[in-house]
Amino acid sequence: MTKECIIKVENMTKSFGTDVVLKDINTEIYKGDIIAIIGPSGCGKSTFIRTLNLLEQPTAGAIYVHDVDITHKKADINKIRQKVGMVFQHFNLFPNLTILDNITLAPVKTGQMSQEEAEKKAMELLERVGLIDKARAYPDTLSGGQKQRIAIVRALAMNPEILLFDEPTSALDPEMVGEVLSLMKDLAKDGMTMVVVTHEMGFAREVANRVMFFDEQIIKEEGTPEEVFDNPKSERLQNFLSCIK
Amino acid sequence: MKKKLGLIITLLVLTLVGCGSNVGASDVHSVDDLEGKKIGVQIGTVGDTYASDYEGDEAGTVVERYSKGNDAISSLKNGKVDCVIIDEQPAKEFIKRNSDLSILDEEFTLEEYAIVIAKGNDSLEEDVNKALAELIADGTLDMIIDHYITDGEVEGLAYTSPEGLDYANGELVMATNAAFPPYEYYANNSIVGIDAEMARAIADKLNKKLVIEDMEFDSIITAVQGGKADLGVAGMTITEDRLKNINFSDPYTTSKQVIIVRNGESGAVASIKDSIYQCFIEDNRYQYLVQGLWNTILISLIAVLIGVVIGFFVAVVRATHDKTGNLKLLNALCHVYLTIIRGTPAMIQLLIIYYVIFASTNISKVAVAALAFGINSGAYVAEILRGGIMSLDQGQFEGARSLGLTHGQTMRYIILPQTFKNTLPALANEFIVLIKETAISGYIGLQDLTMAGNIIRSNTYQAFLPLITVAVVYLIIVMFLSAGVQKLEKNLKKNERHVYD
Ligand SMILES: Nc1ncnc2c1ncn2[C@@H]1O[C@H](COP(=O)(O)OP(=O)(O)OP(=O)(O)O)[C@@H](O)[C@H]1O
Ligand SMILES: [Mg+2]
Repeated sequence: MTKECIIKVENMTKSFGTDVVLKDINTEIYKGDIIAIIGPSGCGKSTFIRTLNLLEQPTAGAIYVHDVDITHKKADINKIRQKVGMVFQHFNLFPNLTILDNITLAPVKTGQMSQEEAEKKAMELLERVGLIDKARAYPDTLSGGQKQRIAIVRALAMNPEILLFDEPTSALDPEMVGEVLSLMKDLAKDGMTMVVVTHEMGFAREVANRVMFFDEQIIKEEGTPEEVFDNPKSERLQNFLSCIK
Repeated sequence: MKKKLGLIITLLVLTLVGCGSNVGASDVHSVDDLEGKKIGVQIGTVGDTYASDYEGDEAGTVVERYSKGNDAISSLKNGKVDCVIIDEQPAKEFIKRNSDLSILDEEFTLEEYAIVIAKGNDSLEEDVNKALAELIADGTLDMIIDHYITDGEVEGLAYTSPEGLDYANGELVMATNAAFPPYEYYANNSIVGIDAEMARAIADKLNKKLVIEDMEFDSIITAVQGGKADLGVAGMTITEDRLKNINFSDPYTTSKQVIIVRNGESGAVASIKDSIYQCFIEDNRYQYLVQGLWNTILISLIAVLIGVVIGFFVAVVRATHDKTGNLKLLNALCHVYLTIIRGTPAMIQLLIIYYVIFASTNISKVAVAALAFGINSGAYVAEILRGGIMSLDQGQFEGARSLGLTHGQTMRYIILPQTFKNTLPALANEFIVLIKETAISGYIGLQDLTMAGNIIRSNTYQAFLPLITVAVVYLIIVMFLSAGVQKLEKNLKKNERHVYD
């Protein structure tokens, strides 16, 4: 069975000045994949996930979303980003807009939906995450967990093919982590393709079908949760896992 | 409450200063006494030339140059200078109104007054000379001069335009400095005097409508050279130096320089009631302030709009360049604009825009001033906004761009609204600075609020009331603006905290 490849990373290198962060990365992300990215702080997890929607421009190599090389000058990056959603550690909701407007702005302004359609879709999604009563509120009035769920809804409103998460629960108080993770689990069940940078090993083990361990500028080790968590091959991964236990 | 109290105390202190003691008689009794004294003159006049001969001598003579004759006289009255050298007729007017001043008997040589015309404008020069000859021949000129040079009060106008003129030949623009009675001065909100009426009679003969432009004395020749005015009529003496730059018509009268000194008598100290009457009621002088206030508000409003438009544009270009590296050329242009505007005085910018860029265009002064102040303010608005944009969390850009919004959409819907809210106090401050900055509009002869105060000051020889009134009016405008901005700020804040459902 051949799976549909959504993103393909080819010999991708990223450096900041002379500081090489990622070296010659190759990988493919298939439809339905749920990839957990783990690794020590500063190893380039954020950098990697941010190159996938070109928030960081790779220094060398190529990244294909379907068959389009997004690192190419002529690529319509705005069009591609509409299909590659992203959820940030610090939510990045727009404080000048209501929750509803936060969600509907992009679908409407990019021409995907009419205002009416966008609002209908937004209300459905808000209903689903149990925040429909916040539609007309401003972000500043929400708790961290609520903000992150809205941020996920905002990304979902664009009907993305893949969602990128960069440590979505790291900025949350412990009691709010659960509500965000359970929403992400729901999405996983629905078959959403996701790439998640996370320190929640429990979540990675339970939900992911692939785990990537980033270290020393490369994907040091990759495999199923069982392979990575129960039978770590490299010493670095063993050390990493023993440190966080 | 505290504010009002502070204001009143300030007013009282100023009143005391304003009613300072009388200054004694000048120690100048003849030309020989001028050495080592402080001599007041009007800048660019023949008196200035005479006085300049003494300047920097061993005795330490100092020449104080004023842009208006009236200001020189005021300085003499309160002891800032020891004497004033000025043309005879204005001098007579000045002492008529100020019993504490006298003219010394000694006189300088006779001079001839003539009309200034641009070099090369031979046809106008010919027309003016012809008209002038007719006015002298038929006695009109003498009639006008006799009307203004009198021991009694001058009432009404001397010359009436013949009926049935259609001004088919357009306008005749006359540049002058209307603080030089009896040749030109403000009365009843218009400029009158020998020169003004003579020029009108000449214009009538040419079948043109006379338009009088009031400006600094030393700007008159430049204005005529540059085509801003057709004629310069300002009690201007024919001198060799001036002839190098400009042509003169045939002379229309003679004059001489005289020395005015304090005679030791105490000037009439007006009661507060008289002062108020003189400054505001007499001659309908309050109308200067009304007109001035209107112009100041108009200039400020248009300038703010222009400034905001330029500021937004430049800020967006610069921020886009900073964030994406695009728009290199535009960014470089914006950089040049910011450097020039922020590196030079607003007054010089105003003068350059009026006298250089719009030199030969007939554009309203209010428009020129609004444009100049708008361009000036735009630079400051731009940097305030750019600072606001750059200080916004990078996550706001990334959040919007990750959704597929373009850079432009991100700016418009996410970044600029937040920037506007965050920078509102700084922007308001810039607008307050702008309003006060418009006070230099007088340099292009625009009658703004400050200029209105100056006109009243030079007509009444009173400094206290006109200046305080103008200051208070500015204060009120600024206080209103601050209050409005505070309210707007509160509303914007409330918006974001408010939960509707
Ligand atoms: N804009 C930048 N300019 C220069 N260096 C950068 C930049 N962004 C990241 N880096 C460097 O690249 C390296 C990888 O950073 P990155 O944020 O990808 O790490 P990370 O794995 O996400 O770490 P963490 O777990 O702490 O989030 C770090 O050494 C960081 O200092
Ligand atoms: Mg990170």
